[in-house]
Amino acid sequence: MADAANVAGTIVKNKPKIKAQKGLRYFVRKSIEQKELLLMSMPFLIWLFIFKYLPLSGWLMAFQDYKPARGFQESEFVGFDQFKFLFQDDRFLQVMRNTLAMSMINLVLGFVTAITLAILLNELRNVGFKRIVQTISYMPHFLSWVVVAGLVSSALSVDDGIINILLMNLGIIDEPIMFLGVGQYFWGLLGASEVWKSVGWNSIIYLAAITMIDQEQYEAAEIDGATRLQRIFYITLPGIKPVVVILMIMNIGYILESGFEAQYLLMNPMNMDYAENLDIFVLRYGLRQANFSLATAAGMFKTVISFIFLFAANKVAHKLGEARLF
Amino acid sequence: MFKKKALLALILSSLFIFLMACGGNDSDSSAGDDSGSSDDASSGETSNEPVTYHYFIGTAGDDINANETEIGKMLEDETGVNFQTEYLVGDLMEKIGVMVAGGQYPDVVVPDHAIEMMLDAQAFIPLNDLLEEHGQNILAMYSEYIDRFTMPDGNIYYLPLGPTINEHVPNPNIDQGAFWIQRGVLKDAGFPEINTLDEYLALIKDYADKNPEIDGARTVPFTGLTYDTSFFTFSNTPNHLAGFPNDGSVQIDMDTHEATVYADKDEAKAYLKALNELNAEGYLDQEMFVMNNDDFLAKISSGRVLGFFGYGWQWGTARQTLEEAGNPDREFMALPVVLEEGIKDQYLEPAAFTQNRGVGITVNAENPERIIQYWDKLIQEDMQRLVMWGEEGRHYTVNEEGRFYQTPEQVELVANQDERKNFGMTLFEWNWPRVNGTFSDGNAVEARRQPEVALETYDDDDREYLDAYGLSTFAELFSQPEDRPWYPAWSANIEQGSDVALFATRAEELQKRYYPQIVLANPDNFEAEWNKFVDEYRSLDGLETYENFFTETIKARLEGNWQYRN
Amino acid sequence: MQLINRLKGKRRSVDDLIFDTINVIFMILLVIVMLYPLLNTVAISLNASTDTVKGGIRLIPRVFTWYNYEHVFTEATIMRSAVTSVLRTVIGTGLGVMASAMVAYTISRPHFFLKKFVTIAFVLTMYMNAGLIPTYLLHRDLNLIGSFWVYILPTLIGVFNIIVIRSFIEGLPETLFESARMDGAGEFTQFFKIALPLSLPVIATVSLFVAVGQWNQWFDVFIYNSSIPELSTLQYELMKVLSNSNAAFGSGAGAASQFANAQGGVVDVVTPQSVRAAMTVVVSVPIIMVYPFLQKYFVKGLTIGGVKG
Repeated sequence: MADAANVAGTIVKNKPKIKAQKGLRYFVRKSIEQKELLLMSMPFLIWLFIFKYLPLSGWLMAFQDYKPARGFQESEFVGFDQFKFLFQDDRFLQVMRNTLAMSMINLVLGFVTAITLAILLNELRNVGFKRIVQTISYMPHFLSWVVVAGLVSSALSVDDGIINILLMNLGIIDEPIMFLGVGQYFWGLLGASEVWKSVGWNSIIYLAAITMIDQEQYEAAEIDGATRLQRIFYITLPGIKPVVVILMIMNIGYILESGFEAQYLLMNPMNMDYAENLDIFVLRYGLRQANFSLATAAGMFKTVISFIFLFAANKVAHKLGEARLF
Repeated sequence: MFKKKALLALILSSLFIFLMACGGNDSDSSAGDDSGSSDDASSGETSNEPVTYHYFIGTAGDDINANETEIGKMLEDETGVNFQTEYLVGDLMEKIGVMVAGGQYPDVVVPDHAIEMMLDAQAFIPLNDLLEEHGQNILAMYSEYIDRFTMPDGNIYYLPLGPTINEHVPNPNIDQGAFWIQRGVLKDAGFPEINTLDEYLALIKDYADKNPEIDGARTVPFTGLTYDTSFFTFSNTPNHLAGFPNDGSVQIDMDTHEATVYADKDEAKAYLKALNELNAEGYLDQEMFVMNNDDFLAKISSGRVLGFFGYGWQWGTARQTLEEAGNPDREFMALPVVLEEGIKDQYLEPAAFTQNRGVGITVNAENPERIIQYWDKLIQEDMQRLVMWGEEGRHYTVNEEGRFYQTPEQVELVANQDERKNFGMTLFEWNWPRVNGTFSDGNAVEARRQPEVALETYDDDDREYLDAYGLSTFAELFSQPEDRPWYPAWSANIEQGSDVALFATRAEELQKRYYPQIVLANPDNFEAEWNKFVDEYRSLDGLETYENFFTETIKARLEGNWQYRN
Repeated sequence: MQLINRLKGKRRSVDDLIFDTINVIFMILLVIVMLYPLLNTVAISLNASTDTVKGGIRLIPRVFTWYNYEHVFTEATIMRSAVTSVLRTVIGTGLGVMASAMVAYTISRPHFFLKKFVTIAFVLTMYMNAGLIPTYLLHRDLNLIGSFWVYILPTLIGVFNIIVIRSFIEGLPETLFESARMDGAGEFTQFFKIALPLSLPVIATVSLFVAVGQWNQWFDVFIYNSSIPELSTLQYELMKVLSNSNAAFGSGAGAASQFANAQGGVVDVVTPQSVRAAMTVVVSVPIIMVYPFLQKYFVKGLTIGGVKG
């Protein structure tokens, strides 16, 4: 401490150097002090560097007309051409609109439904019933999108689709609706399919979070005469809030990941104006044209947007006094 | 204490794995740099030592070892060579892309439409000398075609599949594009002769009026396949209606040999107009632009569809289901429908040669001459006969004139997928060097193209229809294909990512977006919708480049150069 | 305590009853909606494939047959790939969860001087993708191609899992760790004796995530090990069957079929929908069975107090 004050008070010019030295000394001292924690994390940091950071050198290809046959050394540099192709395409704005809309819908619906389901499951009294419901609710997660898309499409069929039959019998509609033929319905249908497929799966983590809530709190509330809803709002929800906030921050970073298979499989000429998202665009003009550079450029664009949203969300959470990611 | 040790063990073992993973000496990944000279093939002596090559095929299929099939076993006994085949599972571009980038290839690759990438990477070895030395039969079978797949540098890098030798035999049953109609509709109207689109649609409407329901379900008068990559089925139709075969998205003038797109031309407008009216009158399937392939097949199989345009190979499973359902009037018959009287239909394919697909040997293959030797045996007539026809007496019979045919039992045996697989028909009938056309004895190379076989497969119900129209085979209703020495235009060497390729993608997207709207528009708005499409289509970048590229390609092909590139 | 509960319960019984009834009805509806796809898939898998084409199969097979399952199980590769699937799931989950938990523990320690650095270093990678080819080249240089370890090492740690475990450990009372430190426990002891056992629900959850992720993975098989039948997995076998279907997505194979078929003259080889369904059932059931085993860790809440005592 005295040392630091001394340094600060004397030669200002040398400050950075000395500071660096101090930083190094601090680092070494801390490393020795916390050698166990270091030992626990170091191997995995090395792993992280090798497997996640090293290959990022491949981003170079976003500025090239990369040909696998020529490799990085011999592929032609084209500057920002790939980015220009992406951003200047007539359809780019529409594609971005669809991407954002679908990912927002998925984000909101995903959180609300999964948390609701977890809470309601937790309120079930019969443990056997609870287990059964839980196991069944997560089953659709294991069907691949190819299968699910087939089910969705036949459920929505005009002729004998179960949804139309149901709505007609309930008297909600007079004429069957061609759900997949109306672009405006697409986002909603997609969101609903996503919920159907993954709500059970997504609720698992909240169930786990609920188990970490101290049971004594419930008992105390019960003695105080709190109703079920009160217990949900004053104990359960606050109890899982840190987890919810952290997951939300992480998912906001995935703002441009709106899914691919579901859109691709449910897309048709009638709804493509609403279904085509960034990933499908990149498939068509990148991969299908053997243009790996365009795919990489799109990936970098996504990363930049992700970081902006991630840091912003983290900041906001911090400002609001909530748990934060880092 | 014990836990501590466990932890240390874990860390150590994970580090160990790293070292193991990183420390191993680099495998022979440098093979990609090897420019693959074929000099080493001149060793002359050929070994018979057992060897298994890895054979990658860029389309979907069932993996199998060649020697698990009868034909493959036979060839293994003779040559000692076996192949482990691997069919594509995910995306072709990704798979070939990492192969090329990493320089790690299977021994033999059928790259399908990613062939440019393989050639660009010089992943295939030149075959000229190998063929000269070990592949005389291959050279003989491909003789007329060799120039077509010799690259500008004078080398042969791959063998295309199915060159037509001797005579071209059109298929007696329709496996290509046609307007299909439920046979009962024809019977009901007294087997009328149908030539034009108007006649065809009028007949269907008439029947639909009389039969609003079939088997208790709503009748679907007309539908079609438009889903995803099957969209070309819909967008190709105008070209067929105008009297052209499937040349892709261009029309080749028979006199000037000029290539023009037709998506914005009168024939397209006329077809869309007809569908627009059909829709306004309530005869068009509402789900035509919404169904996926499974939905489409289900609809066709249900027996309540009266007509649709489609390629025969697209709905094989539905056809089978209809056959098994046991009501022959619900099966379909193909009609050569044209736009108006006076147009000669060209639905049947002329002799075709796809020069830009094929199979090549990669720089990673050791002793590539052994693969050539294997292929050289496979391409010989007697082996090709085994692949295409099977074993005499078992899978087919020969009559006194030396013509091959199948008895009813043999028809059934050959139709059995397990039998085809175990014998090796499924494996070798495509993706391996093979021929098409006729054998030297005049029999068709492919059994299904032999009229005698087709006749044998017709049952009494089929004959009722054949007789009513005075036909011996269903293809007789169609005009003979005219000679198109450039056919098919779609196999032009389009470089991926080039202006031509981008135009093709953009144009298709535009058609996908507009065609359904035009068809489903209120008839009063038809003109306006159509004009909007035409304006957008014609203002696409690269339209002219696209047409010129195909015109040049055709011109080059007529001069014998099939390797024209932009 | 029990008595009080019962008394209180009686007083609010009307409220509770309404809530419970609605909840149970809702859950039953949910079960119906969720069970439908699976039962439908099972029904299709037990239906003759030529009949399935007609569509309209819902919960009961129309033309019953075991053939589709026979077909699936006669594939010689099925058993072998099942072994690989199990191995990669077990090993991948064991190593992965251990590693994630350890990293999570370090960044949950408020005093760890690299806490922020490690956290950010890991989190950023969630949003960065090097792309297929650079990743492939790295794995080639590490000699991972054609090796079982390509299933384990590159995906060893899921950042998402780290964060989830961390937030649970952070939720544990710090006093537990403090008193352990007083007793002279090092970080390893605190990790193994306190952090791990107390976050069992989250460890179970993360294990499930990793196990399912490992089980469902097919892309790494496709890219790295597709030429080695011994290293194939069940999920990859399923993808083979699915990509043989009409609904094949995203793949150039679809785009090319126009040409292949036009030229091959071979009628579309389509794996019947029924075989696809049978394969889906065979591949999914084993992993679905894992859940009930892990379930006990998060159905009944663990109380901190209970563990302490």
